[in-house]
Amino acid sequence: MELFDNLLLGLATALQLNNLVYCLIGVVIGTAIGVLPGIGPIPTVALLLPFTFGLEPASSLIMLAGIFYGAQYGGSTTAILVNVPGETSSVVTCLDGHEMAKQGRAGPALAIAAISSFFAGTVATIVIAVLSLPLAALALKFTAVEYFSLLVLGLFAAVILAHGSVSKSLAMVLLGLLIGTVGIDVNSGVARMTFSVPALADGLDFVPVAMGLFGLAEIMANLERPETRQVVSQKLRDLVPSWTDLKAAFPAMVRGTFIGSALGVLPGGGAALPPFTAYAVEKKLARDPSRFGKGAIEGVAGPEAANNAGAQTSFIPLLTLGIPANALMALMIGALMMQGIQPGPQVMTEQPQLVWGVIASMWTGNLMLLIINLPLVGVWVSMLKIPYRLLFPAIVLFCCIGTYGISNSVFNVWLMLGCALVGYFFIKVGVEPAPLLLGLVLGPQLEENFRRAMQLSDGDPSVFVTRPISAVLLGIVVLMLAAMLSPTILRKRKQALAE
Amino acid sequence: MTQRRIDWPDLLFGLFLILVAAGTFAATRKLSHGTAADMGPGYMPRAIALGLLGFGLFFAGRGLVRAHAGIARVHLRPILGIAASVAAFSALVETAGLALASFAAIVIAALASRESRIVEVLLFGIGVSAGAVLLFVKALALPVPIWPW
Repeated sequence: MELFDNLLLGLATALQLNNLVYCLIGVVIGTAIGVLPGIGPIPTVALLLPFTFGLEPASSLIMLAGIFYGAQYGGSTTAILVNVPGETSSVVTCLDGHEMAKQGRAGPALAIAAISSFFAGTVATIVIAVLSLPLAALALKFTAVEYFSLLVLGLFAAVILAHGSVSKSLAMVLLGLLIGTVGIDVNSGVARMTFSVPALADGLDFVPVAMGLFGLAEIMANLERPETRQVVSQKLRDLVPSWTDLKAAFPAMVRGTFIGSALGVLPGGGAALPPFTAYAVEKKLARDPSRFGKGAIEGVAGPEAANNAGAQTSFIPLLTLGIPANALMALMIGALMMQGIQPGPQVMTEQPQLVWGVIASMWTGNLMLLIINLPLVGVWVSMLKIPYRLLFPAIVLFCCIGTYGISNSVFNVWLMLGCALVGYFFIKVGVEPAPLLLGLVLGPQLEENFRRAMQLSDGDPSVFVTRPISAVLLGIVVLMLAAMLSPTILRKRKQALAE
Repeated sequence: MTQRRIDWPDLLFGLFLILVAAGTFAATRKLSHGTAADMGPGYMPRAIALGLLGFGLFFAGRGLVRAHAGIARVHLRPILGIAASVAAFSALVETAGLALASFAAIVIAALASRESRIVEVLLFGIGVSAGAVLLFVKALALPVPIWPW
């Protein structure tokens, strides 16, 4: 059984003492930033990237992945206790979770959220392990032509399924692709758009771009609103949910896990879409939908399971195909490239202990999260007492140091500042910055494969539609675009993404 | 939102894209274009810029035609405070060392918020700077001077 061999290999990697420690560091940091509103996983991962240079590739990815799903856990804790979603993915948890807390049932709500997340995390780990093999086998048949079409599909899907206007997001992808071409052209050795700045010869680092667009710009916009004070009124008593609670929550948990696993694989699905869908499904299936919003336990279990399952399965396209499903996965690709690993289908066969180690670490990480979240919930909640007026200068400083640390270059810090100003402009004109990051990270690969494909076909673009796999991939893109023009789907999408 | 004659967000985003496209054409004018089978270094940037130009014209045009919302008020204090903080850090870090650069970054960043309190910020700045030096230079071995001397 290849599957079990692989899982065992992964477990052997994930259970190494140093990897367990990095996993723990990752999930602890993740929980902390999940609890704190105002810092998301994207700037955090970007910040830690430079310091993962010295680590083994597997350790570094295990830690960075831990930050991501740890943040989902932390986000739901604050959603339940103080009605503040730490992350966008836990917005739905506020609805019924906080309502339960108000009725004095904060303990069971937290426990159900944690148990649902753990259950979903466990199932999702198996889903990843099962799906990865056939996908990777398929991907090995890919040449430059198929790979280009796949990248195009990934970018389009990420744009269409994510928040915000599709046309603006496409423009942002192009913008990302454009700044991805900065630097010395690999084929001809000619410097492109470097404006004679030597630091630009190797291209733009994506860390300063990500930190500027997501970290600093966000702070600038946050400071425009007066600080709101959070009061934790709930005393936490019995954490253990009753048997009836568990029985009510279990079916929702299972449904949420499957919804999350399915949606997480889709590019752009990532962490935001699954919980909303799961909530909608639970409400529709419930015998008495009016209970929702008034503390229905299914309204906590379903979305929490979906949220965690989605967060994990969004690693599938990354690990098997080298395609990031969202901006955070794009950073993971960056982490791989920094380690000298070219992301793509070959990673699975060339670095099995890396891929399976990361997959298995998600399970150990989820177990750790269960342990550090339930008994220590008081510690996390007390972190909310740190006022934003102290938090944000510290974030600014850490962004500066982290950006400087990638290559000890002051230029990168200035670049981050520039990106922060542009990012603020994007927030003001209501454009999502995430597609830009996808474009920036995938740009060089996209160009490389496009040029190689065109070379192979002697400049004949029809090669993309005459090769079957490529034609199917591009056909899906066309279908998606056509679907976007249909008014009913447009309306449904608006509903699905409305917060 | 009040009704305006111009959709400012769309118009500004469109103009921004047009500007970027124009800049790209200017910056790549000396690079060879090549053919589709053998692309020169200028091929991709210009092809992408062409797409951006198209999007830019579309958004700008739509912004002028469609009556829509204005833009939320821009607050200068946070922008200037954060920008000055980052600028101070880059100016100081290699000459004056990480300790002073961190302290300056914290204090200047705090100016961005109306809610900061002087004594608290100074104490917090000292604490975080010390922590940053310990964490990044001592523990993570970031090669950067700590002090100006």
